[in-house]
Amino acid sequence: MLDSLAPIVATALLICIAASLGTYPVKKLIQIREAKRELNRGSSGYILTISGWIIIAIWLIATWFFATITGDWWATGDLDGAIERSARRLELILRLLVAIADD
Amino acid sequence: MTDTSPVAQADLLCTNCAGQCVYRPETGALTCQSCATEHTIAIDRNADPAAEQHYHPDLPHTEQPVFAQDRPFQCGTCGGEVIFQGHSISENCPYCDGAMVERPGNESYTTLGLIPFSVGRDQAQINAQAWAADRWAAPSDLGKRVSQSRVAGIYVPFWTFDSKEDVDYTVFYRVMRGRQTVTKFHDGLMTTEFDDLLMPASPHVTPLIRDGILHEFRPSNLRPFEPAYLAGFAAERHHQSVREGLRLNAPDKAILLRNRIKEHSGKTGIFEVSYVTDTTGIRYRRILLPVWILHYEHEGTPMKIVTCGMQGRTFGERPFSKTKLLALAALVSSAVTAFGFVWGALQFY
Repeated sequence: MLDSLAPIVATALLICIAASLGTYPVKKLIQIREAKRELNRGSSGYILTISGWIIIAIWLIATWFFATITGDWWATGDLDGAIERSARRLELILRLLVAIADD
Repeated sequence: MTDTSPVAQADLLCTNCAGQCVYRPETGALTCQSCATEHTIAIDRNADPAAEQHYHPDLPHTEQPVFAQDRPFQCGTCGGEVIFQGHSISENCPYCDGAMVERPGNESYTTLGLIPFSVGRDQAQINAQAWAADRWAAPSDLGKRVSQSRVAGIYVPFWTFDSKEDVDYTVFYRVMRGRQTVTKFHDGLMTTEFDDLLMPASPHVTPLIRDGILHEFRPSNLRPFEPAYLAGFAAERHHQSVREGLRLNAPDKAILLRNRIKEHSGKTGIFEVSYVTDTTGIRYRRILLPVWILHYEHEGTPMKIVTCGMQGRTFGERPFSKTKLLALAALVSSAVTAFGFVWGALQFY
């Protein structure tokens, strides 16, 4: 019973941590939305406000990544196996982050 | 009758009833506050306020700073003493409320032109309140705070700068080679021009607010400096030399140059840009632009919302509600976690 609850508790904990770490990315997201709607495209203020959006991508991808582990753990009951299987996803994510960070 | 005193006042009185006149953005005329007679503003047709001045950084400059001390003037209507503080060039007499506008003197920092207000006070107030109401994750009392404040019209000093840049640059970028990331560089030469870069010369408008309210600038809308346009509005004179203006404009120009270099190089994955630029053909204007400013406070921090007096675009400074940010972050986190959880449970990848 406790074993089957552990992935759920871990997921709930993940939501709490992601939410508390997410206030800055959400603020950045709102600033980017306002910049896209209201600032002169191509102006220095627009370029400065838009830059740094990678923090939003990192927050979302990291949250998604850890959630895939807890989901896998919940389905298989095998935490070690879930972590092993996540390694391939992690490699893909890191390459994706390197690619988008440069832009 | 032509007024030749250092402060324009007689020219701002109604020729019909001698009442006080103010400039009305809605009509573009000087309007009497007593009898509502509208007076067309006569401007010097030979003047070219859109003309640009050349600037040669290597030549000595004789610009004299305008002293910022308080200057007392006697109101020609009621005789009361009116103090023009700091860089202010337009005031209302505190006794009779008459508009008083200081004429340009012999100083070098003369305003070369201005664009008059065309958006009125009521519309500016509506725009400022609508802007505040449209903010996501704002404190619940933001709308109330903003509606309790009133917009004030002010002519703010701005520079326009033109220049030609011959740029010698190097960009560093990353490319994927199989599973490896390789760093490369590319050298290039580029010639680019800046036309009418607007730089605020007053703390009333920050560069970010400028980018929010001034999307287009048409030099053809500039008018010669005429005190009647300032009647009833606050106004500031320039208090920077061209060299200081260019220095303040440098960070903005650097951001734009880096962006143009990135585009010119045609590379992706750029993570560093270095360049040397030879700047020539510097031209400038010293102008006044009309803005409506609404000041308010949030938790002791002064903030402002600014509406452009020409097109009505509005932008400003805003606070965030920590609780609302946390709630939004929790909402997004829950959605992303649910997506990831299902993905992991189904073992897609």
